[in-house]
Amino acid sequence: MIARERLNQLKDKFGSAILRADLPSDRQLFVWVQPEAVKELCRHIFRDLDARYVISIGADDRPFSGKFIVAHDFAFDTDHVLCSLLAQLPGDEPKIESISGVVPAANWAEREMRDLVGIESVGHPYPKRLVLPDGWPEDVHPLRKDVPWNHVPPEFKEGASFEFEKTPEGCTVVPFGPFHPTLDEPAHFRLYVEGEMVRGCEYRGFMAHRGIEKLAESVMSYNDIPVLAERICGICGCVHSVAYTQAVEAAAALRPPPRAEYIRTILLEMERLHSHLLWVGLACHIVGFDTLFMQAFRIREPVMWMAEKITGNRKTYGLCVVGGVRWDITPELKAELNQTLNKLQAEWEPLVGAVSRDKNIQKRTRGVGVADRNVVKNAGAVGPVARAAGVDIDCRRDHPYAAYDRVDFRVITATGCDVWSRVVVRMKEVFESIAIIRQCLEKMEPGPLQLEIKDELPVGRIGLSSVEAPRGESHHFVITGENNRPRRWRVRAPTYQNLQAVPAMIRDQQIADMTISLGSIDPCFSCTDRMETIELRSGERKTWPQKELLALSQGKK
Amino acid sequence: MQVVWAIFGSALNIALVLSLAPLLHGVMRRITARIQSRQGPPLLQPYFDLLKLLGKEDIESGETPGMQRLAAWLSLAAVLAVACLLPMGFGAPLNLAGDVILLIYLLTLCGVSTLLAGMAAGSTYSLIGVSREMMTMITLEPLLAMALVVGALHAGSLRLDAVLNGSVYMGGSVPWSGLIMVTVMLLSLQAFVQRVPFDVAGAETELMEGPLMEYSGPKLALFQLANMARLVIYCAVFAGLFLPWGSQMPFPLGWLLFWVKVFALVLLVTLVAATHARYRIDQALRYFASLLGVSAVALVLATFGY
Amino acid sequence: MPEGFRGRPVFDGNKCVGCGGCANNCPARSILIFDVCQELRILQYVGGRCTYCGRCAEVCPEKAITMSREFETSTNDIGDAQQRMELFMSTCQRCGRCFKDESALEKLKLTGYRFDDLQNQRWIFGAGAYQENQPAVKDIFIEMDW
Repeated sequence: MIARERLNQLKDKFGSAILRADLPSDRQLFVWVQPEAVKELCRHIFRDLDARYVISIGADDRPFSGKFIVAHDFAFDTDHVLCSLLAQLPGDEPKIESISGVVPAANWAEREMRDLVGIESVGHPYPKRLVLPDGWPEDVHPLRKDVPWNHVPPEFKEGASFEFEKTPEGCTVVPFGPFHPTLDEPAHFRLYVEGEMVRGCEYRGFMAHRGIEKLAESVMSYNDIPVLAERICGICGCVHSVAYTQAVEAAAALRPPPRAEYIRTILLEMERLHSHLLWVGLACHIVGFDTLFMQAFRIREPVMWMAEKITGNRKTYGLCVVGGVRWDITPELKAELNQTLNKLQAEWEPLVGAVSRDKNIQKRTRGVGVADRNVVKNAGAVGPVARAAGVDIDCRRDHPYAAYDRVDFRVITATGCDVWSRVVVRMKEVFESIAIIRQCLEKMEPGPLQLEIKDELPVGRIGLSSVEAPRGESHHFVITGENNRPRRWRVRAPTYQNLQAVPAMIRDQQIADMTISLGSIDPCFSCTDRMETIELRSGERKTWPQKELLALSQGKK
Repeated sequence: MQVVWAIFGSALNIALVLSLAPLLHGVMRRITARIQSRQGPPLLQPYFDLLKLLGKEDIESGETPGMQRLAAWLSLAAVLAVACLLPMGFGAPLNLAGDVILLIYLLTLCGVSTLLAGMAAGSTYSLIGVSREMMTMITLEPLLAMALVVGALHAGSLRLDAVLNGSVYMGGSVPWSGLIMVTVMLLSLQAFVQRVPFDVAGAETELMEGPLMEYSGPKLALFQLANMARLVIYCAVFAGLFLPWGSQMPFPLGWLLFWVKVFALVLLVTLVAATHARYRIDQALRYFASLLGVSAVALVLATFGY
Repeated sequence: MPEGFRGRPVFDGNKCVGCGGCANNCPARSILIFDVCQELRILQYVGGRCTYCGRCAEVCPEKAITMSREFETSTNDIGDAQQRMELFMSTCQRCGRCFKDESALEKLKLTGYRFDDLQNQRWIFGAGAYQENQPAVKDIFIEMDW
């Protein structure tokens, strides 16, 4: 009962500030605290207890309790506990002290909270707009419940543009993005460059607006959302759908049947396989080694075919429903999957050898894009970025879900902190994934695939779920609600935190290393941008005014 | 008679370079594809690509459209002028119109036209590409010049026919300087033809084609054709300078053998390009600088007749 | 193409009983229902937004929907992607429109008569109806069970 111990520790130190606590299981801890004490508590948890910052969530709870809710999620990785600090704010004046000063990783989350829910973080060090487009009126907060899902504010200013910081002395501005061959999705880095060296950068992203969270909270229903969640990301779709269903299941205290858990594990690992193969190829492509890129993709293809055979589609698996999975792995598919894995392993080994021996690739990746322990801690970076810096975290082991508690695997770490270490980590993880799938196929017993849910899900319960996506931890936060749909669903993709480490990674590096440094976190902007509201019919929102774009693309210096 | 031969020979060289360059490029793409376990485009694809680009609207996007057009034509013109000066299976057509020094200048002009193209377009990425191209040129051009000077020293003449005939091997019983130079040139050939691992100036994944970023349609076609021709030209210079064997054979044989050599060099370039990652600009420069040091030794040896 | 490939769903008008379960469980909201009168229900599949997730085929009590293996469905005419069924509804003695689904999560969210916007191909749903003073849909009356 480590969760209870942690709670007692907090109670001893902050007795009166803790209003109530909820321990739905020994892996999850919800602590309701007074808003005034939040900052001090966060500092204590983040610095003294050395927890990992996960995400901050703002929710509009006015229709139900008349208040706003702020939640700061932390993870005690060695204790296997996910902890959420919750505070209720008055409905008429939602203000809370910013924690970005003590927890730098909360920077984006607090800005997002301000933009979308209108919860002001007092004393934020960089209170600029993050998510909403620049022309969006100040007082319309799309994730508030009184804003309809298809609301188009008439006051939208078409020509507004983002105000960047002043260019540092002696530097020229190199606009990196919104469109660049190595950025698969739009995001904009304004690089301040001195000669060939990058001295600093400013980020303006969130350009792909899809309003996924608002849609889920207003028009979808519990079992529709996994299909929507799957479309948050083009690579780790299954991760998001599993994370969502697990969060709902945690909130409603449901446990899917064992066979369903094994099947989820298998498909999550298949997704990791194809993502890692894709990424290693992509990294080679970024440094100009197209042959390995093509070979990696060739090796990857059978995994996609296998997924297509199991689920009916090579990428959007449509796997999860609340309480189970939809597709079964028949004995024939099992045999075929085993063959595919054997072939994959046989082909991947020489490729790993080729990459490891290649001096050229190492020259381009060693000592590049360095993110050490400190950067990882402060940015809340996760996944291969953290593991390559020697930070031994992996949700599959630390916060076991699905069938990961029943399989053996190693968590691969490296100590180089650089791009090369990330390449090594991801290359080796492929073998672990293969081993995990084999064990699952071995241990899986026949049984039902879905839980029979007779009653409606309970209302107002909170569920957390962390799933290790190929690029890092995906964290989902769900408050269950009425009308067969959640009240609040917050998705935190790994890139959301990893991207915040990029400015530190590229500072004082060559501009040529920018692409591989950014590529090394495997950025997924669609995951990160998932939640801006948009009018589906007209799509008239533009973050980037045309004038600015033209000026950027033609601009000298 | 000599005038007729000069005109006819030049026309033949230009026509061959223009028509074979896309084919060799097609071969290159095809072989690359095979190394990468792909099927690859048809051999004639580069011709279709060029035709398509030529048929497109000529968009004037930069700030100095006249300069951009000039740069496009200049790049091709410089390459073709070099084609007239090179012996391609028979004596150089414009043998007496210039010497090795002119050849060096014209080859530099190819690079300068790229610089011009990037500067005229004037976008940020073009300018980064230009600065990289400039740095590369500064360290790279002396290498070629030294190779030609070593040849000239041995041949005792600056005449094209004399130098581009394996003259580097003429010193002593063991032609040390020639052997050093051939190694150096082999190691830097990728850079001259701007292929991986030394395509830093136009690195697609970093600078989006660098100097050529702003070009489209017919102008891009000219640049691309010039680029393909450049591969043939450098291979021809290399073949003339370092692979003289068989060039004295009677007309069809020697001529065919020359193109076989060029083809073999293209093959070599392809293989190297397909099996390497791109260098960063500082790494590339350091590499060139060390080659420069080695070739300086060769030059000293050559002056003493070795 | 493998056995279980999910392509365009195909509706079998002979088997369909018009319960509307598919429409209610379609995540992309691309199955619309319009009740012309008590006896005539129009069920229209709008292919344009369909993600081929296969939920409709899964919840259909009569197995009237099958996932075909067609996926090359690009067309110049959006009408090609659609399928429209006019269903004759026999009246249930008790309530007229009652079909129970087995799972609470797959419970029909809208029962009674449905008037989706066939012209603009939009589902009518109660978005924004969170607060008491806000009606779900202002201009059309829909009988809802919540």
